[in-house]
Amino acid sequence: MNKKNMYTLGLLIILTIITAFFSNHFGDFKYIIFTILLLSSIKFLLVVFNFMELRHAHPFWKFSIITYLILFVGIITIII
Amino acid sequence: MESIKIDPKNIYYPPGGILMWILIFLELITFGAALIFLVINSKEDPEIFHQSRLNLNATFGAMNTIFLLTSGFFMATTVHQFKTNNYQKASLYLNITMFGGILFLILKSVEYYLKINAGYTIGYNSFFTFYWLLTGFHVIHVVVGLVILLFMQNGIKSKTALIEDVDASAAFWHMCDLIWLLLFPTLYLIL
Repeated sequence: MNKKNMYTLGLLIILTIITAFFSNHFGDFKYIIFTILLLSSIKFLLVVFNFMELRHAHPFWKFSIITYLILFVGIITIII
Repeated sequence: MESIKIDPKNIYYPPGGILMWILIFLELITFGAALIFLVINSKEDPEIFHQSRLNLNATFGAMNTIFLLTSGFFMATTVHQFKTNNYQKASLYLNITMFGGILFLILKSVEYYLKINAGYTIGYNSFFTFYWLLTGFHVIHVVVGLVILLFMQNGIKSKTALIEDVDASAAFWHMCDLIWLLLFPTLYLIL
């Protein structure tokens, strides 16, 4: 098995537990919401670059997915 | 048969194929727009959305996230094994991948059953309309993904599957992860 992917999975599981913990124990402050979205974005990028191997792709695809994520998180943070 | 070496650095050949990536972006934009619309709606009646969100089981959501992520890990491993011509291991890891998807569907069914029994159906309020539509469409994607993986399993066992097909199937399966990684925090954690 690919060791890098194993470490990625471990990190993804830890981040999932941390986001759920943050949400359950630290209320609905704006900075907590932003932290949860930020950690979720890191998970999203780990899946895209490591599991989907987009790190080997043309920069256009990397730029597009990062732009999408910034727009999504940015818009939600502004609205909330 | 003449084999063609694909350069992933070429803009036309991202892993999984350009058509699959166009589909992935369209899906992400559609779900993303729906989630932004959900958040905009929540501003009109924040108390109802907050109380409704608290009625969702975040532990179920987190467990389902772990099921999908683990399944995604085994999907990536399947592709790796297939590329090294280790078809037996690829087949085994693909089975584990599908098992992760089935676990997701089982837990989702339990969650749906509990919600229906508690009376939180699609017409209960705006939040639950979003909840049922967004998670329902995502479940349809997971089911379609499982059907694709089932065909891929047959292809790997009979050694007729091509690497392009395996890559494209894997990209579709990972797309289900990506959509869930947007749905989970927005629906279950932040409103």
